[in-house]
Amino acid sequence: MKAKARLSVDERWELVDEISKRVVLRGKYKHTLKDVLSDLSVRPATGIPFMIAVLYGFWMFFGAFAGFFTDGLAVPFFDDHYLPALQGAFPGAGPTMAESSPLYMILVGDPNATNCFEAFGVLTSALFVAFGVVLPAIVAFYLILTILEDCGYLPRLATLADTVLHKIGLHGFAIVPTILSLGCNVPAVYGCRVLETKKQRFMMMTLLGVFIPCAAQIGIMRELIPQYTGLILIYLFFGFFAMGALLNKLIPGRSPEILIDVPPYRSPQRSNVLRKLGLRVRHFLKTAVPFVILGVVVVNLLYWTGVIDWLSRVTEPLFVVWFGVPAATVGALVMAFMRKDMAVGMLGGLASAGVLSTGQLITSVVLVSIYFPCLATFIMIWKEGGTRDLLKSLGVLATSFFVFGGLMHAIVTLAGV
Amino acid sequence: MKKILLVGNPNVGKSVMFSRLSGARVVVSNYPGTTVDYTKSRMRVEGKEYEIVDLPGTFSLEPKDKAEEVACKMLEEAKPHTAAVIDVIDATAVERGLYLTLELIERGYPVVVALNMSDAARDRKIKIDVKKLERILGVPVVETIATTGAGLKELVSKIGKAKPTDIEAVKRRLRREKK
Repeated sequence: MKAKARLSVDERWELVDEISKRVVLRGKYKHTLKDVLSDLSVRPATGIPFMIAVLYGFWMFFGAFAGFFTDGLAVPFFDDHYLPALQGAFPGAGPTMAESSPLYMILVGDPNATNCFEAFGVLTSALFVAFGVVLPAIVAFYLILTILEDCGYLPRLATLADTVLHKIGLHGFAIVPTILSLGCNVPAVYGCRVLETKKQRFMMMTLLGVFIPCAAQIGIMRELIPQYTGLILIYLFFGFFAMGALLNKLIPGRSPEILIDVPPYRSPQRSNVLRKLGLRVRHFLKTAVPFVILGVVVVNLLYWTGVIDWLSRVTEPLFVVWFGVPAATVGALVMAFMRKDMAVGMLGGLASAGVLSTGQLITSVVLVSIYFPCLATFIMIWKEGGTRDLLKSLGVLATSFFVFGGLMHAIVTLAGV
Repeated sequence: MKKILLVGNPNVGKSVMFSRLSGARVVVSNYPGTTVDYTKSRMRVEGKEYEIVDLPGTFSLEPKDKAEEVACKMLEEAKPHTAAVIDVIDATAVERGLYLTLELIERGYPVVVALNMSDAARDRKIKIDVKKLERILGVPVVETIATTGAGLKELVSKIGKAKPTDIEAVKRRLRREKK
């Protein structure tokens, strides 16, 4: 038996051509409304205003939806009814947190806290952050994202972003993992597989891990410092591009052009939107909530054993001088390793207890955002890129942490916040 | 257990079809590159149980990115256990899909072609002579609309008829169709 014949690329295309000539008949095609819309949304003159409108609408919906459930329902319930009831009913409360029983400290937290951000116990802060703040944010984010995904807007966004992203050596399609990353960094790092070269994949994974906050974190930022969340996001995007441009110069490798495949607009199917939303919310409940709870337990144990106080003392000069925030921020950074949303929640607790000024809160939120990807993202980068890439990522991260944290300190000082 | 593989260009509807055929829930979107890893599930065809695998989209069997690598590697590894490859083609871009089909045929995979999004093709006034395509390729060809499920029953009934053919035979049959 002789080996099966294989064609060359040209021969194969020729054969495809011959076949299609015989079987495919193309009639006169009339342009429809969909085609007009499609055209308008990729042509820069009309596409960019449209893009701004879409993103702004996204942001407004996110705020309104999450705000309704968090401020309207969760906050009154947790702070006015649930927290006082639990503080009263749970055995082991002392006059202060230090004098309470260890179990009380871990599960309820501060017996004098007046809101769930401050209390910092598993049954108080962890539940409130996970279900009262982050869950509505996740639902709001993924509802809109899913609709954008299903109608086919994302590849059009990629076409528009192509020019800008090319300046930092990335393909326009990199905007898709970036948008996914605003939901959760983990699937976004996974999604970097569609990028062609190792250089692009490494750059993208690193930039996502370092600069892009997830919906959980944005949700809680919006709750704590609504007037500054937009500015912090813009600052982080600026960091994304600045670091991207630098990496593009430093890392050898190709950044080839690839064509973006733009599918036609399709109307999203309600069943698919709901199913996907359900999958993602379930994923959040399964993977995030345990980490939020575990994180609160670990951090409370570290407080109890004095590890965090020790860390604060050791790192105090760095935090006070370079970042201009009190050393108490260290606790939040330890928390950030498990879950960033909870870490930001912890900062909120510190701010409402008067330990952090607004300016310090902004700087420390930026620090938490840049500092270390959460554990899940960390593992994902390791799985996708290997140990070497992970170490290189961490190098970029440490640099960004100092540079952009210090810069933010300078900005809030100059702005006098 | 024998495998059924879902193969095709990015964003042609493999994952929708996978959900429909296996009942498993996977993330489906309207942009290329939603699936970057394979997903496995089970399905029954004519009383026999198969493992069905949804692969990331690929333009050819010479991978250009990591997602395509996953698809090509899986195809290679699964070859001895493959009962059928469901080759999903976007009916509005037949040529691009056929390139991959020919590669699959050259490598001796038992192929069934699903001409998916046939509703979109009709809207665009694209007519495909399914019978003739079937004669030329020598493998079953079925028109489908994965999002509504149209044609999937017929597709499943053709899975058992998938068999390897070779490219020289395709060329011979093509010459016959000319006359």
